Amino acid sequence: MNLVSESFIWFMIITTILYYLSPKKVKKYTLLMISVITLACLGWENLAYILFSTISTYLAGLCIEKGKNKKAILIGTVGINSIILIIMKIVPYINSKPEFNLIVPLGISYYTFQVISYLVDVYREKYSAERNFFHFALYVMYFPYLFVGPINRFDQIKQSLIKEENKKFNIESFYEGILKISMGFFKKLMVVSRIHVIISTITGDITTYTGAYALLAMILYSIDIYADFSGAIDIVVGFSKILQIQLTANFNLPYLATSINDFWHRWHMSLSRWFKDYIYIPLGGNRKGRVREYINILIVFTVSGLWHGANYILWGILHGIFTIFDRLRGDKKRNRPISIVVTFLLVSILWSFFIWPDTITSLKMIGSLFTTFNYVDMFQNVLQLGINLQNIILLLGCIILLVIIALNKSYLEAKMQNADITVKCTIVFLLISIILIFGWYGIGFDISQFIYNKF
Amino acid sequence: MKKGIKILKVLVIVILFIMLLSAVSRLVEPKYATELIEGHFISEYYNEEKNHEVIFIGDCEMYSNISPMELYKTEGITSFVRGTPQQLIWQSSAILEETLTYEKPKVVVLSVNCLKYDKPVSEAYNRLTIDKMKWSKQKVDIILSSMTEEESFLSYVFPLLRYHARWEELTQEDIKYLFDSKENTYNGYLMEKDIRPVENLPTKRELSNYQFGDICYTYLDKITKLCKDNNIELILVKAPSVYPYWYEEYDKQIENYVEKNGIRYINFLDIIAEIGIDYSKDTYDSGMHLNLTGARKLSVYFAKILKNDYNLTDFRDIANVSAIYKKKLEAYNKAVLEN
Repeated sequence: MNLVSESFIWFMIITTILYYLSPKKVKKYTLLMISVITLACLGWENLAYILFSTISTYLAGLCIEKGKNKKAILIGTVGINSIILIIMKIVPYINSKPEFNLIVPLGISYYTFQVISYLVDVYREKYSAERNFFHFALYVMYFPYLFVGPINRFDQIKQSLIKEENKKFNIESFYEGILKISMGFFKKLMVVSRIHVIISTITGDITTYTGAYALLAMILYSIDIYADFSGAIDIVVGFSKILQIQLTANFNLPYLATSINDFWHRWHMSLSRWFKDYIYIPLGGNRKGRVREYINILIVFTVSGLWHGANYILWGILHGIFTIFDRLRGDKKRNRPISIVVTFLLVSILWSFFIWPDTITSLKMIGSLFTTFNYVDMFQNVLQLGINLQNIILLLGCIILLVIIALNKSYLEAKMQNADITVKCTIVFLLISIILIFGWYGIGFDISQFIYNKF
Repeated sequence: MKKGIKILKVLVIVILFIMLLSAVSRLVEPKYATELIEGHFISEYYNEEKNHEVIFIGDCEMYSNISPMELYKTEGITSFVRGTPQQLIWQSSAILEETLTYEKPKVVVLSVNCLKYDKPVSEAYNRLTIDKMKWSKQKVDIILSSMTEEESFLSYVFPLLRYHARWEELTQEDIKYLFDSKENTYNGYLMEKDIRPVENLPTKRELSNYQFGDICYTYLDKITKLCKDNNIELILVKAPSVYPYWYEEYDKQIENYVEKNGIRYINFLDIIAEIGIDYSKDTYDSGMHLNLTGARKLSVYFAKILKNDYNLTDFRDIANVSAIYKKKLEAYNKAVLEN
């Protein structure tokens, strides 16, 4: 199932209807039941793994709270769940036998991170262990965030997920949800699908497309991965909004970051915070001197790279090194616009490890930025990169629109809050109409999975 | 009151957007007027006066080879070819069912070429058959039974979902035929006048399986039953196309079937000389389909069989019908004479 597929649209419609038709005390169980059935429909192995994680963590949480052998239980349960995740991550890379085909369960990274955070928090006595198994199961198995996250903390999402009061159908939440979902579809079908074609053309010929072409691919990929990932999150968050479930925010204008350190406070925030709370701080954080702080940063970013996949270790280490540089520089005053541009370019260059298939090619492409100056050639051949002029204009228009929306986010949100229902409806329908007419979907268009599905 | 006004406002906006999207959808849908004209064949029947005593159903072996105007000229037979490209047997069955909701012919002629296919062939062919069909239970049946894996039912209900990308390739044809398309056939017959002789006869290439699929028999049974229930004579025919190769194993299965069900089967490939077809000048694509001269010969020959064996009316003597056909013949004859 793809978040921008017809089947997911039906899933959202049916879930919403069943959810609001259920009596208020039953709503959360309806949601759990739908999640379980959907997971089972997508393959029993999906359900088996997540059930194991849910049951083991639920029981471990209760045992930890009782206080006997709590450290051993924590290490054991976190260990088993982590080992399963690591196996699922590593086997596809080292497996050379096609007959040994390991099916990676949907959302294993996201729910494993959630159960680990839950267990550690209970161990740290941040909150008590959940007594109601179904409440806990819903926290782990709530279907929409299994696709791309965000990684939610139990104490933050519990109330919104299981509360019974004020869950009557609310037109405002519905509108906000639909708008958010539409934005997600807009990003994926209007922006990402077009950029993919250009990037595929460039990466398809690594001898011709170097230098300026590589830089174009890097910049476009920055937009691509942001639109793709935040678009997916928009759909998940929007759908949850319709159900009046508040999920954790995952992005805060990441390309307005003034340093790499700042970037990681704005990009995939739920993962960054998770790494900080459950790896960086247990390692000692910045409490054990400067050297240990920097080593801890490097460890965290290396793990982050590994989590993305074996090819991305260097990407993680480089982000770690640049973060250390930022810490070394401290709070020295910087020119904000220049810092934003430099950070954006740096982040874009580092995305190379995601664009080209292996580390060596990625490094060669980064090297070509400084050795091949074919900018004139690139501008002359921009129409040979897989999409025609109309689509390039449309793509640029969409990117400009996204930038304007991002820069004026709070102003627009406030305006929309007070806007008349006709204005709100017109905006949603306009957005849907644009997507329906100009979106790249259906036969002949390859709507690839969201990039962060595979992590 | 305030709430009511709010709902009314939303409703107005919804209606406006539905109208806008419908208009855009109409604009981007293929018109099948001057390109891929086969996509329009299915709808040409709807505008017809429903007085046909013979209905031909099948793929290009029907609409390229049988000319109803020749049947009328020769024996006064009123007929229509409900043919579409690569028509599959379940599509033929639904098209016959749909036809019977409009009229009850005396004879139905079905091309057996479709029995070779027991799976949907391609989305493009599906579209040519289904897009311009009127909404009915039969259309729903055809869609559900013909969809390939990549297709969705919704894209037939809302063509914008399928054709939205055509905004880049809109032509004047899309404006010109926005509300009304061009008729390209003569009672379902597609006239082709070029000559491209047969150069080599196809050689028999062994197949791993000659057996018609179970699904083909299921729908053939359905067609047979439909005809019997409505007192319609069913004739199965194999057009005289030398390409693609027609196997004896196919023929045997059909012969067994017609014997069991008391149906007539005519394989025109066996009587090419009798019909008078000359493959050096009666085909426009080296033997796959007949051109106008070939189709005339076949139609005249077939008209005689139909007239002699099926008690059909000579409509040339019936004033209201002959008046309609007079106009049709004028257009047909004009097209025949055009270069």
